[in-house]
Amino acid sequence: MAPLLEVKGLKKYFKTGSGLLHAVDDVSFSIEKGTTLGIVGESGCGKSTLGRVILHLLEPTDGQIFFEGRDITRVNKKELHELRKDMQIIFQDPYSSINPRMTVKEIIEEPLIIHNMYKSADERRHRVQELMDTVGLARRLGNAYPHELDGGRRQRIGVARALSLNPKFIVCDEPVSALDVSIQAQIINLLQDLQRELGLTYIFITHDLSVVRHISNEIGVMYLGQMVEKTNARELFKNQLHPYTKALLSAIPVPDIHNKSKRIILRGEISTPIDPADECRFSVRCNHACEQCRKGQPQLVEAEPNHFVACKRWQELKGRMEADAPMEV
Amino acid sequence: MSENLLDIKNLTVYYYRDGKPIKAVNDLSFSLGKGETLGLVGETGAGKTTTAKAILKLVPEPQGKYESGEILLDGKDVLKMSKGQLRRMRGHDVAMIFQDPMTSLNPVLTVGEQIAEVVRLHSKVSRAEATKKAQEMLEMVGISGSRYTAYPHEFSGGMKQRVVIAIALACNPRLLIADEPTTALDVTIQAQVLELIKDLKDKFNTSMLLITHDLGIVAEVCDKVAVIYAGEIVESGTAEDIFDRGTHPYTEGLFNCLPRLDSEEGERLNPIKGLAPDPMNLPAGCAFHPRCPYATDACRQSNPKPVEIEPGHFVKCHVRGIGKEDA
Repeated sequence: MAPLLEVKGLKKYFKTGSGLLHAVDDVSFSIEKGTTLGIVGESGCGKSTLGRVILHLLEPTDGQIFFEGRDITRVNKKELHELRKDMQIIFQDPYSSINPRMTVKEIIEEPLIIHNMYKSADERRHRVQELMDTVGLARRLGNAYPHELDGGRRQRIGVARALSLNPKFIVCDEPVSALDVSIQAQIINLLQDLQRELGLTYIFITHDLSVVRHISNEIGVMYLGQMVEKTNARELFKNQLHPYTKALLSAIPVPDIHNKSKRIILRGEISTPIDPADECRFSVRCNHACEQCRKGQPQLVEAEPNHFVACKRWQELKGRMEADAPMEV
Repeated sequence: MSENLLDIKNLTVYYYRDGKPIKAVNDLSFSLGKGETLGLVGETGAGKTTTAKAILKLVPEPQGKYESGEILLDGKDVLKMSKGQLRRMRGHDVAMIFQDPMTSLNPVLTVGEQIAEVVRLHSKVSRAEATKKAQEMLEMVGISGSRYTAYPHEFSGGMKQRVVIAIALACNPRLLIADEPTTALDVTIQAQVLELIKDLKDKFNTSMLLITHDLGIVAEVCDKVAVIYAGEIVESGTAEDIFDRGTHPYTEGLFNCLPRLDSEEGERLNPIKGLAPDPMNLPAGCAFHPRCPYATDACRQSNPKPVEIEPGHFVKCHVRGIGKEDA
């Protein structure tokens, strides 16, 4: 079966005063219908830019995007308008992503008006109520303004709005990062239920590794604009091939006092994405970097079945990294 | 009791809006021994930060008001200190690391000057000595002393937080209050900063109050844990008490709603139902009862008192507070 979404060699560069910023640099992947691809990485690794480029909120610099087999890399205004019905986004911050001067009903209704989905206002209102029920917003809140609601309910508005046009594909850009854990769990359950009922496909962008493991089928790890490792969610947590993934996973504080697994503390901080040198971008922080890592960039290769890694030394490191840091997850 | 560095007894802090009280902290008590690290865990609006500010008497007045209780620091009540005493205490005996390193540094002073300022305020040293001390502090938190003349905007978030830590530790405080010190940082940087805080704390035998919503960080750093809900401590004890034998239904709920790293495919999370109560309008009885799956009539009628269910392990619950076996 053809994947729902496929991205090939996608690049997004921004011009800055000091050079070209490589926000997304040659990223390729595909997502099957009804599944979730988690994208993890630290601030500034290009994960949000990636989501936005796919939705044409930003125009790609290079590369191709296929949706249901159709090339949508270059679209005109009319095509884009149609595309929006199929592809939607849920933003991180439920406080700033909704208009404070519109009521809950108006916010959810707006996409239906823009896309002229229903002939009569009655049908449209009916659909709004249906959506509010779907995401678990009490009908009495229809006339409330966003400031009257807490973060969890506001995020439900964001979900309802994204669902209103019956999309096939949703980019969830850190949808739970601004929420408390108990509310976070409610929204994650909601997103999973909706996926099952409506057959939705998600890209789930987050920096929270335990959340991404919970919700994703596949996970891609990004570092400075590039995908450094990609595989099945469970496989990634069992068997990391890239030294960055290994360090990233070891850094998650685990809520268990008996599991004092050894942390790999990385040196320094993420380097600049402006005009990066032709070397492995992680090499400056990598504990295993050697001469060959500084000459030319590693390619993302299928190291093991459906397990992709972009590291020149993955084979020699495989045994070694396991020896110095056994992870018990 | 005398060996406790900090003793908070029945602290109640309200904020007033339009004459109506917002009950931020309600009859809260806990203590912290020398060299200990206590994790104060709770969700947004539970009163964590208000508690921290109260220890430094920094709750904004007049809208905030200390209704009752005492905060004993080495036996002296912070709430009764004069302005001069407070000035000497803040930064010298008790230092605070705030959540957001981006806004807690002064953008128009160099980082070195900001560290030296604290040193000069609290000890009689010359400008040159203060500068030297500031450079030492920078080195200690892993920043080269030559960056003394750099401005905060030249640093990344993790580096700024290191500067904030250097300022906090410059006068060897006996108590360090860290309010969500790593929330604004990425995980790999968070790991570096936590490691640094742990090392420095051990080196100087500082006591620490770590405020966080992340149980993972608590497991990593803290000896003792207090769980706060609606301005009250609902459960407290050693890290083992809370992580292995957590008893209060809210504590249980907090652990259950976390996605686990060993969960099975398709497993659902168990969120605590409902929402945290509005501190302007707290429910009668136990504040947690509307969300509690075990609530009984007693819970709706009266607010339970904390019960010591095993030495040092307190639970404030009608249902779980009695014999642990029935739970």
